[in-house]
Amino acid sequence: MTTTSNLLAFLGLVVTLLIVWRQSWPARLRLFGAQSLLLAVLASTIGMLAQRRGLLLVAAVFVVVKGWVIPRVLARIGAGAPVRSIAPGRSPGISLLVAGGLVVVAYVIMLPVTAAAELPTEGAIPLAFAIALIGLYLCVTGRDALGHILGFLVFENGIFGLAILATYGLPGIVEAGVFLDVLVIVLIMEAVVVQVRREHDSIDVDRLKELRG
Amino acid sequence: MMLGVLLAIPLVGAVLLWRAAGRVATALHALTAGLTLTAALAVSVEVNRGEPVAALDGFLRADVLSAWMIALIGIVGALAASEAPRYLAHTAPARFYSLFHLFVFTMLVAVSTDDVGLMWVAVEGTTLASVFLVNFEHTRASLEASYKYLLICSVGIAIAFLGTVLVYFAGIQQFNDEAHALRWTTLMRLAPGLAPRVIELAFVFLVVGYGTKAGLAPMHTWLPDAHSEAPPPVSALMSGVLLSVGVYAILRFKPAVDVAAGPGFARGILLALGLLSVAVAAAFLWTSSNYKRMLAYSSVEHIGLVCLGLGFGGALGTAGALLHIANHALAKSIVFLLSGRIRSAYGSAEIAAVGGLMRRMPRTGAPFLAAMLALIGLPPFGLFVSEVMILAAGFTQGFPAVAGVALVLLVVAFGGLLRGTHTILYGTPPREPAAEISGWGPAFPVAAALLLLLLTGLAWPPGLAGALDRIVAIVAP
Repeated sequence: MTTTSNLLAFLGLVVTLLIVWRQSWPARLRLFGAQSLLLAVLASTIGMLAQRRGLLLVAAVFVVVKGWVIPRVLARIGAGAPVRSIAPGRSPGISLLVAGGLVVVAYVIMLPVTAAAELPTEGAIPLAFAIALIGLYLCVTGRDALGHILGFLVFENGIFGLAILATYGLPGIVEAGVFLDVLVIVLIMEAVVVQVRREHDSIDVDRLKELRG
Repeated sequence: MMLGVLLAIPLVGAVLLWRAAGRVATALHALTAGLTLTAALAVSVEVNRGEPVAALDGFLRADVLSAWMIALIGIVGALAASEAPRYLAHTAPARFYSLFHLFVFTMLVAVSTDDVGLMWVAVEGTTLASVFLVNFEHTRASLEASYKYLLICSVGIAIAFLGTVLVYFAGIQQFNDEAHALRWTTLMRLAPGLAPRVIELAFVFLVVGYGTKAGLAPMHTWLPDAHSEAPPPVSALMSGVLLSVGVYAILRFKPAVDVAAGPGFARGILLALGLLSVAVAAAFLWTSSNYKRMLAYSSVEHIGLVCLGLGFGGALGTAGALLHIANHALAKSIVFLLSGRIRSAYGSAEIAAVGGLMRRMPRTGAPFLAAMLALIGLPPFGLFVSEVMILAAGFTQGFPAVAGVALVLLVVAFGGLLRGTHTILYGTPPREPAAEISGWGPAFPVAAALLLLLLTGLAWPPGLAGALDRIVAIVAP
């Protein structure tokens, strides 16, 4: 179990770094889908090895919501968006460097948790937290609405991974609430982005700057 | 049973109002708001008379702390609801009422559950229910405000989820009943044995996460935008109670953290964030040119004060903080309602565009002045009493420096707010306002809230002191 969870979480982190590196929206979207699938595999593996039936159900819902529905909505939002050009001074190299630094930070922050845990999966916990941190970084530095949403979703995925690894799944009502929330957030985001595009003829949120002070 | 009824009323109301229109919608809206208020007050009286009430096998549970928040949500909800038909008179209601009651419902769920997981779901629900209300006017500015609101609060609440996961993790390390490990009552029982370092980390995440919803600096950046762009009844709800729901969520975890990690940890964080919030607000109160933004920064200031009170702790600080939550809710909600009337008369939310309120709109100007003086913290209103309690707690609990700095910042904020208020009330207006609304209907809710503020300032109604004592026994034993 230790090997499997470590491997899956590591692959999840690699996919996250690829999301940081890639510039084209469809590629990033595919990578996000792949990351979601990896986490679903992680959840079902732990579910089987630790005899948690509930986790299998969670994994199934996860695949449907984050592996299928949300990528479709995101593709719909992104349709017609121009390919993200590399802005000067913002090369993916720097971002990758920051992301690498965040992995180290994640290990440091999660020290109390790994120290307290006596689980076969504890080695993977900092990796999942690193995914979350990198997602947060993507969200904060995102240049358009798509970048923000994608970063937020990667962040959510990381937290989901952490929750699975550290607790083998939360009570059903909370899991259900989380899925519903993420789905609704993405749908609302779609509505907002559609309106932003109509108003500003672009989804570049840098143009949203009427409110200051 | 009572609790189930309380939660069912706004939910059923929201569902029925989804497709309702015209007079039926207005009547149904009034009925829902009235029944919610009645049920909220009934639950708080019942809880304060005896034991905590519970439903659904303890899943829903209201103790005295919940009861305090439930009563507040009921009262502020009714105040805001009374203004909604007036606000909607010139626009298409389009689901406003339905979302309004859904918003109230999510806040009520957040404060009346024993399960911190469900509390998290409900707090997230408050964002989702209110984001369309913020963007109700569909202007560029309100669109931007709702985008920021949704994004920042979603990220914040996801961080709070991380905190909740870690608390759960610490809980199941010693307690193998997963169904109950997220219950607050269980958490309090387990608290002495929870891994202190994990709980500290969890609390940091919880404070950052729920603090975002509470509008604590430096996570407050969504707040001035959302509060100033939202329709007045929604601003009243957001500023009056939504922020306090965020504080409530932090407050639920604080006693467990105090036991598990020692009292100094939570205190340090709350004092730092509280002081920073007051400082940020004091600065921006001087620079805001839009009066709704000015009021929003005043909310940051007051939430910062509440945090200081909770950080100072002790019976005096905690009771002061809770009383301050209530006083601020009353004062801020009527100011926002009045600001909506001012904006619709002048057609602008800029301070410079609305001068001479006292002469042109005396029936709006006089209560506006009273409520602003209350917000500034002058006697005889309740905020004066609660601010004195909080600062006195700072001096008696051994934090004279923090309390002293807070006092100086309060004076700075006082000046900023007073300057803005003076321009609005006595400046020269660039144009004549439209006719002022008059009559008993619009005056009654404002007068009732001001009366309550006078009561908390001059003569506490029977039961108030007892209720505060009982809450202190839970939060700061």
